[in-house]
Order: sequence, then structure tokens, then C-alpha cells
Amino acid sequence: MADPAVLAPTPGAAAGAAAPGRIPLLLDAREISIHFGGVAALKGVSLSMVPGEAVGLVGPNGAGKTTLFNCLCGQLRPSGGTVSFDGQPIGDLPAHVRARLGIRRTFQRVEVFPEMSVRDHMIVAERARRGDGALWKDLLNKGKPHRDELEHVEEVLQLVGLTDLAEVPVAALSLGHCRLVELGRALAGRPRLLMADEPSSGLDISETAALAGVLRKAQREQGMAVLLVEHDMAMVASAVDRVVVLDVGSIIAEGPFDTVVADPEVRRAYLGRTA
Amino acid sequence: MSTFLSYGIPGIPYGCDFALMAVGLVLTFRATGVFNLAYGAQAFAAAFVFDLLVRSAHLPVAVGFVLAVLVMSPALGLAFDRFLFRHIPTASTTAKLVSSVGLLIAIPLLIPIIFGNTPRLNPPYLLFNPDHVYFHLYTTPVNGGELSTTVITVAVVAVVMSVFRWTSIGLQMRAVVESRRMSQLEGISSPSVAAGAWALSSTLAGLAGVLLLPLQAQLIPTDPFQFTSLLVAGLTAAAIASMRSLPVALIAAVGLGIVENLIKGFLPSGGLLAQAVNPAFPFVVLMGTLLLNPGLRSLDANKDPLAGCDPPLAPPSVTIRDRRLEKPTRVGFWVLVVAFLVSSVTWVPGLWVTTLNEGLTLSIVFLSITLMTGMSGQISLCQATFAGVGAFTAGQLAAHMGLPTLVGAVVGGLLAAAVGTVIAIVAVRISGLLLGLVTLSFALFADQLLFQYTWSGGGLTGVAVPRPVVGPVDFASDRSFLLLAFGALVLCMVLVLLVQRGTVGRYLAAMRGSPIAAASLGIGLTSARLTVFAMSAGIAGFGGALYGAALAPAPVPATNFNYVISLVWMVAVITLGSRTVEGAVQAGMGFALFATLLTYLPTRFSGIEPILFAFGSVTYAAHPEGILEYQKSRWMHRVNRLLSAYDQRRGRDADLGTGEPADPVAPAALEVLPAASLSTGEGFGG
Repeated sequence: MADPAVLAPTPGAAAGAAAPGRIPLLLDAREISIHFGGVAALKGVSLSMVPGEAVGLVGPNGAGKTTLFNCLCGQLRPSGGTVSFDGQPIGDLPAHVRARLGIRRTFQRVEVFPEMSVRDHMIVAERARRGDGALWKDLLNKGKPHRDELEHVEEVLQLVGLTDLAEVPVAALSLGHCRLVELGRALAGRPRLLMADEPSSGLDISETAALAGVLRKAQREQGMAVLLVEHDMAMVASAVDRVVVLDVGSIIAEGPFDTVVADPEVRRAYLGRTA
Repeated sequence: MSTFLSYGIPGIPYGCDFALMAVGLVLTFRATGVFNLAYGAQAFAAAFVFDLLVRSAHLPVAVGFVLAVLVMSPALGLAFDRFLFRHIPTASTTAKLVSSVGLLIAIPLLIPIIFGNTPRLNPPYLLFNPDHVYFHLYTTPVNGGELSTTVITVAVVAVVMSVFRWTSIGLQMRAVVESRRMSQLEGISSPSVAAGAWALSSTLAGLAGVLLLPLQAQLIPTDPFQFTSLLVAGLTAAAIASMRSLPVALIAAVGLGIVENLIKGFLPSGGLLAQAVNPAFPFVVLMGTLLLNPGLRSLDANKDPLAGCDPPLAPPSVTIRDRRLEKPTRVGFWVLVVAFLVSSVTWVPGLWVTTLNEGLTLSIVFLSITLMTGMSGQISLCQATFAGVGAFTAGQLAAHMGLPTLVGAVVGGLLAAAVGTVIAIVAVRISGLLLGLVTLSFALFADQLLFQYTWSGGGLTGVAVPRPVVGPVDFASDRSFLLLAFGALVLCMVLVLLVQRGTVGRYLAAMRGSPIAAASLGIGLTSARLTVFAMSAGIAGFGGALYGAALAPAPVPATNFNYVISLVWMVAVITLGSRTVEGAVQAGMGFALFATLLTYLPTRFSGIEPILFAFGSVTYAAHPEGILEYQKSRWMHRVNRLLSAYDQRRGRDADLGTGEPADPVAPAALEVLPAASLSTGEGFGG
């Protein structure tokens, strides 16, 4: 059962979940299709989100959740459909340009930079957000971290609870900490849309609870929209405003969590029969 | 039609030779996961031993064949497996490539050391007499050499394909390449299967070498890379087959042989078009295939589902140094620097000052490898080519326009940077092994074509790069040039360090760690790669120009910058440590000093230096941080343990007085200590 306190609209959401048409859409993906060989991984999937909204994207393995993530982030080019972000078509933009617009993500299989410290992860994310990277600045010794940058990084480290491990190379951390590093790195880029791909994968119950807490806190404090792919239904229930269910590349249900989980079509997709 | 056939048919046996190389490369890659650049070297070794047994030991051809191809070649393959590749089963494809580069350099250079330098003329043949025409095909005579090559190649490829496709051992080989660890969990003896695959592929290499003998007028031990054209053609056919399909590799190789012969036949010999097209054709096809064949894009993909079991990379030794050691280290460093400079300009003998000049300028070139491989994780096998561009530009500008050498060196660096940028743009979508092969093909193209002209590489004599003159200061003497070279090295080191510690360095580290995650943060991988390629090529070009000046007044020939030199330089840096600027300096100085030391040995051992570095490079997969860096980390841990024991003793003494520990440790630090110590390499591999 969802936590009522968590389900209450966040300040940024402004009841967006209830009436998305009245607020300008942050993300508007329409009729997304993609084929891998002869297999249709996504078949005309449409998904829209308003600023500050938290949406859960669920479905059985192979439903197309991560593929949809990759299409929205720009890591895959769909064969059909359009994607807009904040009113701007982004379908032709590469992944790193979409990231600079404010779309950040975490990965189902942890993707960290093993040789870098936790703090460096955050600094890289912050600099990439600003589009820094001119060689001449480095050559003039202007590449050192500066104060406001470090202050922001410190805030993020506190938010994800990694302050004590800031200088540790990520290769030395546990999976749970690496998940937090990924989340912190995404948050350090001040996202307007955070896409978390199975963040609890490989974590135990307490680690999952801690991660969910960080996610909720971050959304509350930063007011960003969250698109969460997750198999842990308790986490989904506690973290999102509404749920979209994918099965075999198509959306089969969407709405509030309790309504969706009671949907016979959803139960059939998960359990293989009508419960 | 008959003209067409008369040109095309003689290309078939050449194509069959290419096919043996291509099929061997594909087979080795599919059966062992290693892109074995040493394949040509194995062929050379078998051919040499076969020739030695038949013509010097006067053994029958059949006995020589059995000993060279069926005994020595598989033994060599088993030795590769037993002493190298078995110990690095989970290393990346790129790391294994570096190890095979080491072998490619070492094996042919060992031959003259073992068997002497005398060229071996009129090598023996196998099966059919190459001087006898057995029949005519559309009026084209087919001799015994062509016949034996074609017959044996087709038969061998058919047998290998059958084994690979339809037998249990073939299935096991494919499984082991996908994941050694997963195969073992399924009950397959992965080490035995991999050893068998190495023996099989090495036997094929030996066969290719022996079959090629009649086509080589002589085997020259001091030119062990005479199989280069075979390597290029074999690489091309293997690339056309996407490193997967044996029949496609065979057909592509034969097709290449035929097309090459047709071009040679139809283009008027001695004409401008023939001079341009004939030598460039194989490289254009190779580079085009590497860049355009989408089937090659997944060569580097790590498909091992158990890859997560791999231990993390070791952190740089400097990060685990106890803080109390920082001041003594800094003081010691500056004492060494001052002692080096004072000694060099006062009492060091002239020969050794020349050597130090070479070492300092080579260190600048080697910094480009630090930037490219150490910082960005990219493999470039054409750094010597970039250095050559810089050296020849500076020399030609000085000779023809009277431009000062230092200005010429900067222009050479900029030109090399431009060339590097073009390569980076062309190869923007590829990385790892494929990028290594593209840069290797560019290096081969420069060796065979670009640097052969008098306006570029100065033809056979080379180009002289005069010693610089800056205003009233003439750097003509070795001792004064040493100061200039030292200053230039420090400048380049500072530039590389600034980049390493700045935003671009962080981006490169991120890109090396996870390209997909880096892109998801907003890091433009394309611009990062263009930046690193341009800067790396620019530093190599600048360093190359100064290296040329260090050798003045002697002209520097194009052979000083050929693809073998690129490979040797890369393995030298990688062996000693490519992730730090001091690694580049240690490699540069070590390379030059070692070369001078070896002049005191008999000339027979002149090739031993690259061999030692090459054998060192095979440790790259086990210690990607470099041997010196690895040893420094080990010593750092020992010193830290000593300091820790000292602290504990002091702590116990203090406890007796105060009851409190001397140096409390944060709980969070304690939590990560076991993993951190694992990440430094303690406890495995060494």
C-alpha cells in the first residue's frame, strides 16, 4: 500500500498527475516504435509527464521498459514516433545534448567510472551540465574545482549520504553504494527529469528502502520529474504518482498504482493468467 | 576476356596465401578471443625453421614439414597459451591485442639472435615443384607453387570449417570464447579447449609460412617484417568477414588476390596512376572495411555474463602514499632533477649526453601515448607516424624555407594534430580493437606510401632536422640541446598534467570508465575524442621534430617512424606505465639508455631491446597500470605497513599514558578498507 504522505503531489507537480493537460508537458513521447531485427520491441508507445511528476514504468521482463528509456535518452533511435522535452523536439538530438537539457538517468546494470572518486563523479556531472570542457581552460589551469561547484557537490553528497566516502575510488565500493553514486551523479547534474532504471536491482531490503528514501527526498527538494522503472512494487507504490504498464512493447494500463495493480490485464501480463 | 583471365588467374594462389592468413586470424579470434597480430610472426618463424631444417640440416622436406609445422608451430601456440593468454583469460580484447603486439615484435626479432643474420636464398617448396608448369588454365600456366598453395589452402579451410562448425570441440571453442568462466561452470575444461585452439591456429600459421616460402625470393632475418603485405591482405579479408565467417574470409582473400593482380595488369606499369593506386589499394580497402563494415562494431563488446567477477583496477600508487612521505618524495624529486641537469652539462661523457637527448625527446613523444592510451583508454598504433609528420615537416621547412627548427617543430606538431583530427573524425564511431586496427592501417599506409616520397620522408636518405637556434643562443652542441629538450619535456609534462587534472581529463576518465554513462551526463564523446586525438598527435609531432633534431646532423630516415616503431614505442610505454606522465619519461629515458647499453653487446643482439619491452608488454593485461607503477604500489603498501606498525607501537606507548588511541580511524573508512586494499592489487597477481 502506498504511503499517503509520499503520494501527495509534490510542490513542483501541482496536481499534474490529475490534470496533465493544463500544465505544459515536460516530456511528450508519441507513438514510439523500434524494431530489433524482426522483433518489435516498442509498438507505438506514448508517454507524457508534467514537471515534478513521478511516474512508475512497470512490466514483465522483455516488456520494453529499458528500450523506451534508451529511446527517450537518445541512446537508441526509434524507427517511428516523436519525442519532445519542454516543448522542444529532441528526437534528433544525441544523448549528451539531451542530458544537458536536463534528462539524466541511472542504469539497470551499474555504470560508474571505476577509477574516479565519488566526489569526482559529482564534479564531472556538474561540469557536463554547464557544458564545460574547453581545452584552453585546462591549459590555463582553470580546470580545478571551484568553490560553488564544490558546495553543490557537497549538498548532493549529503543528500545521498556519501559524504564519508567522497574520496574513495568507486571501484572499492559495494553495489549499494555504487547505486547511490549513480543516483548522486544524476542529481548533481540538476535534472528536470530523472530516469531511474531498476535502481533496486541487486540490493537487499534495507538498501532498497534507503535508496527509495533518497529518491523521494531528492524529488521533494529538487522538484524534478521522475520516471522509475522498477520490479519492486513496494518501492514503486511508495515513490510514484501514477503507473504505466508495458507488456510486449505496448502500454496495457496506466493510472494510480492501486487501480493498475488490480487491472486483470496487468495481472495476466505478470502472472500469465487472469487472477 | 583471355587478357582478363590471364591477369586474374595468377591472383588466385596469392589470394590463397592471403586466405591462410585471414582464416587463421578469424579462427584464432573465434577460438581464443585474441586478435592475434603475431600470426604473421608465427608464420615467419615456422618458415624460417622449415628452411633451416631442409637446407641446412639436410632433412627431407616431409620431416622438415612435420617438425616445423606439426611440432614446433603447435608447441609455440601452446606456449602462448600456457605462459601468457591463460593468465589473462578475462582481459579485454584491446589488452589482448597489446599482448599480441608484443609477441609480433619479439618473435621475429628472436630469430636472428638464435639462428644468425644470414639471408636464406631460394627457400624450399612443399608438395609441387614451383619451377614446373603442371597445366594451363585459359592459356595461363599454373606452376607447382601456385598449385600447392591453392590445393592446400582449400583443403585446410574445409577441414577447419568442418571442425569448427560440426564437431563437439568446435562448439566448446565457441562457448569458451563467449565466457571461459561460464563454460567451466557447465563442465567444459576451458583451459584445455583454449590450449587446443591455440595449437590449431598456430599450426595454420606455420602452414601459411611454409606455403609462402616459394613466393619469397629470400628470408631475411634482419627484416623480419617482410610479411607485412600478407598481414595487410589477411587483415582486410578477415575484416570483410567481420572476424566471424571462415568461408567469407576465404572468398574475400582470393578476391583480393585476383583484384590486386588485375589492377597491376591493367594499369600501365610505371604510369602515375599505377604508382599511386597499386601500393595504396590494399590500405584503402582495409581502412574502408574497418570503418564501414557494421559487423565489426561489436568486436570489443564484453559479452561475458560473469564479467562482474573481475577485480577492480588498481589506483595510482601516488593515491595510496602516506602523507608523511609526500615531503621527502618532493624533496628527493627536486634533488634528482638538479643532479641530473648539473651532471648532464658538466661531467657526463658525450655519448651519454647524446643518449639523454634522445631519451628526453622520446619522452615527449611518449607523453602522447600517455594521453591517448593512459588517459582516454584508446589504442593508437600510429604514434610514430605522427612523430614522423612532425620531424619531416620541421626538416623540410628548415631545408626549403629556412624556417627555424623550433617554429618548424610547432608547425609539425600542428600538422600532426590536424592529421590526428582527420583520423579521429573518420574513426569517430569506433574504439578499442577496431580503432587500433584503423590506426595501424594508417601507419602501414604512411610507411609504404606517404613517407616514401622525397618531398615528405626524404626518400631513402631521410630528412635532416637541424639543431635549433633561438636568437643569439645556438643549441648545436649536445649539452646545450639537452637543456632545451629538458625544457620542452617539462612544458609538455605540465600541459598533460593540466589536462589530466582539469575538466577534459575528468571527461576522458569518465569516457574510459563507461562511455554510455558519460554520454548520459552530457559529455560529448565526439568532442572529447577529437580533443585527445588532436592533442596527442600534436605532442607526438612536436616531440618527433625534436627527436629528429636530437639525431642531427644525421638525417632521420622514414624507417625511424614505421609501424613497427609505433608498436615498439607503445609497448615500451605500456610496459612501464601509461597512466602517469612519469611512466612516459621512464619509458623514454629507459628506451634510449638501454639502446646505448646494448651497443656494448655483439651486433647479433642488436634487436634485443624491443624484445625485452615486447615481452614486458604481455604483462599489460594483468597489470594495465604498468610494471613500474605496479611495483611502486607494492612498495608503497610495504612502506605504509611499516609506518602503520610504527604508529601502532607509538599508540600503545601513548595508551599507557593517556588511554586513547594515537590515530582514530573513521568508521566509514574502516568499512571500505577491505575492498580498497583489494583494488590496489594486493592479494592477486603478484
